[in-house]
Amino acid sequence: MRVWSVLEGIGWRPVASYFFMLLVFFTLLKLYAVDKITIGVMVAISLLFSAFLALVLYRRVIVPLNEVIEAARDIARGNLSRRINIISQDEIGDLAKSINDMADRLRHTIGEITAEKDRAQAMLDSMSDVVLALDRKGRIIMVNPAVETTFGIPQVDCVGRSVVEVIRNFDLDMVLQRVQATNSQLIREVAIISPEPRIFILRATPLVGNTKGGMVVLLRDISERKRMEQMRSEFMSNVSHELRTPLTSIQGFVETLQDNGTEDPQMIRHFLGIIAAETARLSNLVDDLLDLSRIEERRVVRRWQREDIGTLVDQVLTVCGSRADDKQIAIKASLQPRLPRLFGDPDLLAQVLINLVDNAIRYTSAGGTITISGLVEGDEIRIDVADNGAGIPAENIPRIFERFYRVEKARTRGMGGTGLGLAIVKHIIKGHGGRVDVKSVVGKGTVFSIFLPLEIPVTLPAAGSFYLH
Amino acid sequence: MAPRHNFDKQLKEIQQDILRLGSLVEQALYDSVQALISLDVAAAGQVIMKDELIDQLCLEIEEKCVWVIATQQPMAGDLRMAVAGIKIIISLERMGDHCVDISRATMCLSGGALTAHSVEYIPEMADIVQQMVKDGLDAYVTRNVEKAKAMCAMDDLVDFIYNRIFRELIACVKEHPVHAYQMAYLLYVNRYIERIADHATNIGEAVIYLVTGERRELN
Repeated sequence: MRVWSVLEGIGWRPVASYFFMLLVFFTLLKLYAVDKITIGVMVAISLLFSAFLALVLYRRVIVPLNEVIEAARDIARGNLSRRINIISQDEIGDLAKSINDMADRLRHTIGEITAEKDRAQAMLDSMSDVVLALDRKGRIIMVNPAVETTFGIPQVDCVGRSVVEVIRNFDLDMVLQRVQATNSQLIREVAIISPEPRIFILRATPLVGNTKGGMVVLLRDISERKRMEQMRSEFMSNVSHELRTPLTSIQGFVETLQDNGTEDPQMIRHFLGIIAAETARLSNLVDDLLDLSRIEERRVVRRWQREDIGTLVDQVLTVCGSRADDKQIAIKASLQPRLPRLFGDPDLLAQVLINLVDNAIRYTSAGGTITISGLVEGDEIRIDVADNGAGIPAENIPRIFERFYRVEKARTRGMGGTGLGLAIVKHIIKGHGGRVDVKSVVGKGTVFSIFLPLEIPVTLPAAGSFYLH
Repeated sequence: MAPRHNFDKQLKEIQQDILRLGSLVEQALYDSVQALISLDVAAAGQVIMKDELIDQLCLEIEEKCVWVIATQQPMAGDLRMAVAGIKIIISLERMGDHCVDISRATMCLSGGALTAHSVEYIPEMADIVQQMVKDGLDAYVTRNVEKAKAMCAMDDLVDFIYNRIFRELIACVKEHPVHAYQMAYLLYVNRYIERIADHATNIGEAVIYLVTGERRELN
């Protein structure tokens, strides 16, 4: 059995050479010792010799060659770590060495290509923009995982489909059709309503090079940027409007004084009074704007120190006391005994309380009461400024911290105030790592609550930009 | 082999056109309700203008369906595909018309501010209907009968909200007869949105017919 399998492995050529060798030995022996030995001995000697030679041949050539063949097949099948263990100095050794080198080289090259591909794939996978690659017929051949987070469509469901089956948007489809037809890049904004309304910038580029048509589509979510742009332009128009109003008034009265040259000193004094008041309002507005922009740049909390809430409340009473007295509004303070001290910039925290109390005075009618209370809640200090004034309608509450937002535009401008007070409050408290909350019932009153962390906030918002002393 | 290949291509094209039409209707529904809430006359006008595109696309698709039936004489699933296609585009076209109606109401209301409390519910209902239309078209793309059924079940919720808004608007009219004009239009809008939901269930039924061959009444 074994012999047969060995023979089969050897093939007919070595067997033929074996018999040829046998013949040669036999002939040599016959020539050399014609009749000294009998034919039987001669045959035996030739057989022995040739068998020995065949064995050597089998060991030295056939076996290693078989191994080489086996290894080469293995490498061809993709097992690039396979090596041949032959270290003979002959041709077979060279062959084995070359095959080993080739395998090394292949492995290295394929490793490089794989790494390159992995890098490209990783880049695509970690992109927040949606990238689609389409073939000539508009079917998706590749898509990155962002499609899942952006549109909620499983990545595997996209491949092989056309775009309109996956992202149903008419404008998007039109743009892609145009790119396909004209073979030139297009950049457009498209609004896609599903799963939530968002605006995308769409960039569709035809594939160039040796590919057969197709294109790459990039979708970038720019809703946030759009919203910011809109807010900025609203803010600009608000600022201009707010600056315009006192200026118009000042201009009017100055012109009246110039033109008429009214002799009535009382009238002149009255006019000048108005001009002074409007100038003060303008100046307040500019101050507030500067404050706000400083706070927004988060460069505000310069002095971090412990401060007693009582001291702050006293400060507030000194500033706002006279205005409250004018309107016959009582300001009460009810602080929990032994309150821990606040941590932050005392001037800014006082400004927060002043702004809130000032607001409360403004929107509370004569005879009302404002209560400042302080207590510890969990790991936060809570300071409430409560009034029993007009209250804020529920639908306005989400917007009152916006700059220049007023609940009733016509009425409240007459009450003074720049429209920036609450925006400043919000930004200062945010800078201290705290938060502001409002509860209000129309006709009953409003409570503004400030929550400040008891301990030094470990992760201050953008802590790097604070100047800590 | 060649004619068959061509036929499959035609069916595929019809399906993609239906999805295009669907995308236009989805957008129209969203835009018309947004325009109503913010009383944006310009946006409402846009919806009315874009309806022409919907109607035109609808005609084209119908033509293609008829052409396929006439020239290829499709059988079984393929025939259902063409028939369901016609059913779906008719529903979509009606939805588009209701969006135009909503936009017309917006134009009529644009004089003053919306006072009714129930305006809050209308976007809520519109969101659900929007989702139904989306799910209906998704079910059509993926031939998903379960999704189509689930979508049709949402119609009950829409009917419930419809009734609630109806009662509230009537109560509003009784309380403030001054706003009767506005309330009347909102009643119409309420009805239009409810009708859109009904058409969405028709799409669901068409999908079930397309996949299983059964005709079911689901609302």
